[in-house]
Amino acid sequence: MSPRFALRRAVVVASASALLLGTALVSGSTVANAATTPKTGGILTLLEHAPRLDHLDPARIYTGRDLAFMNAFHTRTLVAYNPVPGTAGANIVPDLATNTGVPSNSAKTWKFTLRPGTKFEDGTPITCEHVQYGSSRVFATDVINNGPAYLQAWLDIPKDKDGNSIYTGPYKSTKAGQAAFNKAVSCSADNRTITFQLNKSVADFNYLATYGVISPVQKKKDTGDKYTLNPQATGPYKIVENSKTQLRMIRNSNWSKASDPVRTPYPDEVIIQFGLDEEVIDQIMLEDTIPTAMNFGGPLPSNRDKFFSDPKFKNRRMNNSDPYALYLAFNVKAMPCKEIREAMYHSRDAKALLDYAGGPQFAGSYATGVISPLVALDYAPTKVVGPGSPDFKPEGNIVKAKALMETAKTKCPADYKKATEDGITIDVRASATLNDTIPINEAAFARAGIKVKFNIISAGYYPTVMDPTKQKDMSNSGWGADWANASTVIPELFASFGGFNISQNTADPAYKAFEDKVNIAMKTTDRKKQAAMWKELDAYAMKQFWVLPTLFGKAQEVWGSQLANVFFWVPQGNPAYGKIWINN
Amino acid sequence: MSELLRIEDLHVSFKTDDGAVRAVDGVSLTLNAGETVAIVGESGSGKTVTSLSVMGLHKKGSAQISGSISLNDGGTFKDVVSLNDDQIRDIRGRAVAMIFQDPMSSLHPYYKIGNQLAEAYLVHNPGKKKAAMARAIEMLDLVGIPEPAKRAVEFPHQFSGGMRQRVMIAMALMNSPQILIADEPTTALDVTVQAQILALLSKLKKEFNMGILLITHDLGVVAQVADRVNVMYAGRIVEEGAVDDLFYSPLAPYTLGLLKSVPRVTSKNERLKAIPGQPPSLINLPVGCPFAPRCEYKQHSSEAGCNTTKPALTGTSPTHRSRCHIPESLRHDLFAKELRELQS
Amino acid sequence: MLKFIGRRAIFAGFTILIVSAVVFGIFSLLPFDPAALTCGQRCTDQIVEANRIRLGFDKPIYEQYWLFLSGIFLGRTYGSGSSAFSCPAPSFGYSFNENACVTNMLVEALPITISLAIGALLLWLTVGIGLGIVAAKFKNRWPDTSSSVFVLLATSLPTFVTGLALLIWVTIKWKLVPLSLSGYVSIFDNPFGFFQYFILPWITLAIAYAAIYTRFTRAALLETLGEDYIRTARAKGVGERVVFFKHTLRAVLAPLITMAGLDFAGLIGGAIITETIFNLPGLGRLTLRSVYEFDLSVVLATTILAAVVVIVMNLIVDMLYAVLDPRVRIT
Repeated sequence: MSPRFALRRAVVVASASALLLGTALVSGSTVANAATTPKTGGILTLLEHAPRLDHLDPARIYTGRDLAFMNAFHTRTLVAYNPVPGTAGANIVPDLATNTGVPSNSAKTWKFTLRPGTKFEDGTPITCEHVQYGSSRVFATDVINNGPAYLQAWLDIPKDKDGNSIYTGPYKSTKAGQAAFNKAVSCSADNRTITFQLNKSVADFNYLATYGVISPVQKKKDTGDKYTLNPQATGPYKIVENSKTQLRMIRNSNWSKASDPVRTPYPDEVIIQFGLDEEVIDQIMLEDTIPTAMNFGGPLPSNRDKFFSDPKFKNRRMNNSDPYALYLAFNVKAMPCKEIREAMYHSRDAKALLDYAGGPQFAGSYATGVISPLVALDYAPTKVVGPGSPDFKPEGNIVKAKALMETAKTKCPADYKKATEDGITIDVRASATLNDTIPINEAAFARAGIKVKFNIISAGYYPTVMDPTKQKDMSNSGWGADWANASTVIPELFASFGGFNISQNTADPAYKAFEDKVNIAMKTTDRKKQAAMWKELDAYAMKQFWVLPTLFGKAQEVWGSQLANVFFWVPQGNPAYGKIWINN
Repeated sequence: MSELLRIEDLHVSFKTDDGAVRAVDGVSLTLNAGETVAIVGESGSGKTVTSLSVMGLHKKGSAQISGSISLNDGGTFKDVVSLNDDQIRDIRGRAVAMIFQDPMSSLHPYYKIGNQLAEAYLVHNPGKKKAAMARAIEMLDLVGIPEPAKRAVEFPHQFSGGMRQRVMIAMALMNSPQILIADEPTTALDVTVQAQILALLSKLKKEFNMGILLITHDLGVVAQVADRVNVMYAGRIVEEGAVDDLFYSPLAPYTLGLLKSVPRVTSKNERLKAIPGQPPSLINLPVGCPFAPRCEYKQHSSEAGCNTTKPALTGTSPTHRSRCHIPESLRHDLFAKELRELQS
Repeated sequence: MLKFIGRRAIFAGFTILIVSAVVFGIFSLLPFDPAALTCGQRCTDQIVEANRIRLGFDKPIYEQYWLFLSGIFLGRTYGSGSSAFSCPAPSFGYSFNENACVTNMLVEALPITISLAIGALLLWLTVGIGLGIVAAKFKNRWPDTSSSVFVLLATSLPTFVTGLALLIWVTIKWKLVPLSLSGYVSIFDNPFGFFQYFILPWITLAIAYAAIYTRFTRAALLETLGEDYIRTARAKGVGERVVFFKHTLRAVLAPLITMAGLDFAGLIGGAIITETIFNLPGLGRLTLRSVYEFDLSVVLATTILAAVVVIVMNLIVDMLYAVLDPRVRIT
């Protein structure tokens, strides 16, 4: 689910109920008016503060909420998450395909057979070559960017000497490049079965098929950059307006219920209103000015209590764990001394920061690793950090931190000097809350004699911290699983081939053993065995203190009185928008 | 000679935060047709306040006016003090007109000369636009503006200072008023232009058979055009009389002081004999003679009255009266001697 | 007059050229890699370099500036292969955040900002001058006192407070004006909808400006009332009403128009707060968004546009002043 993106308001929050984790919490989520029968008609309005969605192009969407939204209404994928409440929502079901993918050749070859009767919004029947073309677009990294990059990493296409794919996408490629791609992604003679050849075993490749990077696109309708403004619909709704103020979708007459086992479209129209003031959105919700509207971002912290303490909003709110694990990544190259990294974990005042962010009720719970409880199968408390660890104290374990610093003094004197005299520099994204949290942090670390400094980055945060030459000693970050498998967490964050390794941990003495185990886990197709391995690797990474885990976040949602059947959709960490109907 | 204006016991005071300013304190004077009567005095002596009272230009709220100002409006006398706003406005610009000290700022910068003149006519003759414009051009011609029709469509900034004062005079004469109040009409002008304007005023006075109330601090101007003179000090008339009486046998010590302070060609090596001291504050006037603190002749007063009582306006001749505690005969001799010395 | 306009136009052209060069120069000095800003969190070196070439950031700064300038007259083409596309002249660049030609973005935003500015201008001129007249006419009496209370309140309340309060109370709580979310409607298509859409933003902007204009009008009127030429008018026998509404007001008009012209120019440059609160996708919001997102081509274009508007409004104000004040002659 990509690095946690601070533009989303939900992110500022940290969260909670340390007791309720994993499945318990998920099944406890709200299902509003579930007893009533579904109704069709009406306009579902989503109120959004941001001026637009980052992307609508299926190959470029990468945030959970936007995926949940677009996949629910507009964009069909080969397989989809089952839009039902509870853990069952994390199961994948066939969508454009008739199956959830058939692996062979030890999961190096994956075949999907397309369902007949599916069409684009212009009536063109969807065939294998459309999916093939759609999958080729992410290789044009200069045009189609920001989306998941798994295809480039996994498809069996030769790389040049710099490690870049020899295929450069459909817009300008060499004949050899195009041929290599067509070999890796091929269509059957009847144009109904698509085959993906991978360069290694990927047991959960079919989860990637829930993403739009593998979705049909018509070549003649592909406008490159601009495709993101008005992509062709394959789902029950098509875009009729995408402006500065709204994204408006109406029924797609070329979609048929018979060809879609997943979607049950209820409203006549779906609209996102952009650019609204956050306070105004909350007031609209509090006054129920638009009873068919939903806050697309969650209420402001200052208005949270009004929604969550007043019983009249009982059926119009939800408060769930979001899929993100928050952490501070250590730049292990700059901070090679494990004792100091561990001492920083124990001297941090997690309780003060959690209380500041809204306490356990709204902000989240102390993290026990980087695998969120929402990745149900792969989650277990590591017992190294957070609740369950004998050393963990919410307000900080100063005795332990001081002892670790004493060890560091003799074991790694240079690093000790840096931590106590020069100071550790932490990359943070500019935010209004820094004025309050920086003093809390400085005071907390000072208890163990550690000095910290802050590098406040106002724009281009991730490009900066992902640049090894620009990253400082520690970087504030967060990560959510791309699908319900820690294969999108542990390797992504800590392996040398991971997409978001900002720990720079590959030179650490403990790394080699770690990578070997990761490679085995990735090839393991027995999901239960694999889960046990991910749990072990999570604990392993925590033991090395490659990151300083902080919180498993929470997010709140509120909506108008006429919306029904709003429930939390586990895999996307958001409501299943497509299942909402309107009572009048 | 018919009487045009009779001011009797005029009091004007203004309320300020520091107290009431008694700007005019019992002034009486008359103006006849064909006559130029001057009011002379320093700044703050009350001469301009007196003239503005005649125009009814003081604000009702801020100025308290008592006494009477009888004004001949085509044969009937009207008391300006007791008229309401509309009645005063009807007189203004028609029976009595006024020209001001600074012709630069007295004309509206954004309106054409002809229109400003015509407005003066239109106010009292509503609707007669053509006649008003014709009258304006006629008046411009009369005051000596060359090519009056062409200049009428120009703006004030296109005129020189002297020309603007001619325009002001033309504006004042638009309705052939019987009384013209000229408040320092030449002060802001070059000396050569001053003489032209004064000559023009004299000529027009005859043509229109007007009475001119001339407000000035300049004794030279007075000598040139006035028939009778009222010298004001601290809101009161301290001496009144024919122009010759005043210049050759002044009776008020203040008048003598004024005459002595006029620069003379013959005494170029001498320093000007300025009156020592400053005029008194009009908020807290001394109980005695207001001029007493600056008076060089106080010792000649037989009584100690200079510091305790205000002298009355008296005189052996009914046409030449003054305010002073020193016996008139003594003053006559004393002052005549000084004047002779001054002129020799 | 034509000569004046011609000369000023040439001067304006040079000013705009200098402004654009300076803005361009400043952006090139910023410690940001514009190419790195075109992709989000998953920027690889490969993507950054590809975009650098696509955007022309690989070329030296003077060449980039030249490309920018020539784009205005000739249009510009971006990318290569089958994903190439062009922005026709006059092209002010391409926004990779919005996936649109900047010129189109400006053309979409301008009518909204102009509608906002003109409506607000008319409203505040009416209220501001009206209150100023009342205050001057009834100096130190209750209308004057109450208008000074308004001035005090309006100048001390920031726009985001009045705007948000109006939106929340008038629209959401009292429901006096319907909440319009669907966006801008042209006055020509739907006059009523247009007024509903803009009425609160107009009021928000007008409140702040009306206070300033009330104070200015009152002070200017009272000062003018003390002028010699007003005394002259009274001496002519002109009635108080004519003295006030013709002679006095006329003199206050020229400075008022100058002020209004410059304030109007400032608003076109961006009523950022009002546009943001009321979600009006005009130039102000566009500027704010592009600054936040480091959408440099848009910031460059809006900055230059603001400069052009200020220069043109100055020219118009100068000509208006010459019409209003006969003492001013343009040569």
